[in-house]
Amino acid sequence: MNAIVDYSAAPVPVRGDLVLAHQDAWKRLASAGTWWDGETRVAIAAETRAARDCALCRARKDALSPTAVQGAHEHASELPAALIEVVHRIATDQSRLTRAFFETALNEGISDCEYVETVGVIATVLAVDGFTKALGLPPFALPAPVAGEPARQRPTGAKIDHAWVPRVAPEDVTETEANLYEGLGGANIHRALSLVPDEVIGFFHSIDAAQYLPDAALRDFGTEYRDLSHAQIEFLAARVSAINQCVY
Amino acid sequence: MLLRASGQHTGDEYDLTAILGSRDNKIPDAALLSAYADAFYAEDPGTLEKARKALHDSVGDAALVDAAGIVGVYDAVVRIADATGTPLEDYKVEISGGLRDELGINDFPAARAE
Repeated sequence: MNAIVDYSAAPVPVRGDLVLAHQDAWKRLASAGTWWDGETRVAIAAETRAARDCALCRARKDALSPTAVQGAHEHASELPAALIEVVHRIATDQSRLTRAFFETALNEGISDCEYVETVGVIATVLAVDGFTKALGLPPFALPAPVAGEPARQRPTGAKIDHAWVPRVAPEDVTETEANLYEGLGGANIHRALSLVPDEVIGFFHSIDAAQYLPDAALRDFGTEYRDLSHAQIEFLAARVSAINQCVY
Repeated sequence: MLLRASGQHTGDEYDLTAILGSRDNKIPDAALLSAYADAFYAEDPGTLEKARKALHDSVGDAALVDAAGIVGVYDAVVRIADATGTPLEDYKVEISGGLRDELGINDFPAARAE
C-alpha cells in the first residue's frame, strides 16, 4: 500500500478536487488534531480498518443484541480498550448505537470532545477507503504520524440540545471558530461534529463537498454540477443510508 | 427529501420506495446505481466488480467516479449521524412523517435509539 494519495493508477480519471480533498484528509489524519495527537489519530484509523475483520464485531453484528456477545476485539493498535470498543462499534454497527453507548464511553474516561474527534477520524478514513473500494482500488497505506500537540480548545458556545453530543449552533459560533459553517447551511449533520470545529471543516468543507456536493449546490436543481444528476446522486445517497438503516 | 425535491423541480414523480431495493424507477440507471450500492456491502468482491462494470458501461468514467464518491462519503455520513445521536431537523420530521412510515424508516433501530 502506498501512503501517498495518488490516483494516477486509477482505472478512470479522478477529479482534481477529489485528489486534493483526499490528500488533505491524509495530512490531517497524520497531524495532531484538537484533542488527539497524530499517533492516536492514525491508530484510530487503523482500528477503523481492523474492525472490518474483527470476529467479535462480526458476531455482535449477527446477534439480536450487540450486548449479548462478549469478548475481546481483534485490534491493530495499543489504544485503550474503551476507545477500541468505540471505534469498532461505530465502524461496524452504527445503526444500533444508543445514548447509553455514548455515556459508557464517557464513564470510561473518553471526553465528549475526544469522542467527537474520534467520530471525525473514523468518518474521514471510511470516506476515503470507501471511495477507493468502490473504484476497485486498494486502500492507501495510512500516513506516518506527525509530531505535534493537540490544540485542546473547546468551543465556548457548545451546548447540549437534541443530540447526544454537545453542539455549536450557528448563532453560537465565536471568532475562534468563525469559519465553522462557512459555505454550509448549519444542518444537524454539520453540527454533529461541531464540538471539534476542525472535524467539521475537514469533513464537510473538504471531503463531503468533493465526494457528494458543495452545500450550496444541493438545492440548486437548475444546475447539474456532476456527471450524475441531482436525482441520481440523491437516489444513491438514500440507498446507502437505507442499507445502513440510518434515519437521518 | 432532496430526491423528492429534485423530482418536483423536473416534474418527475419518483417512486421513493426504490431506495429500499425496488428496481423500477424513473431515475436513469436507478437499478444499476442501487446494485452498485448493494454490492459495496457484499462480502464477495466479485459482486462489486460486476456491479461497477455494469454501471461504468452505462454511465462512463466521470459518473462512475461521482458514484464512488457518494457511496464512500455516505458510508461515513451515516456513522456521523448515528454515533452522535443527531436527530432529523423538526421541519423534516414534519414534512416527511408519512413517507417515513410508508418506507419503514421509522422502524430502523436508530429511529428508536435513546
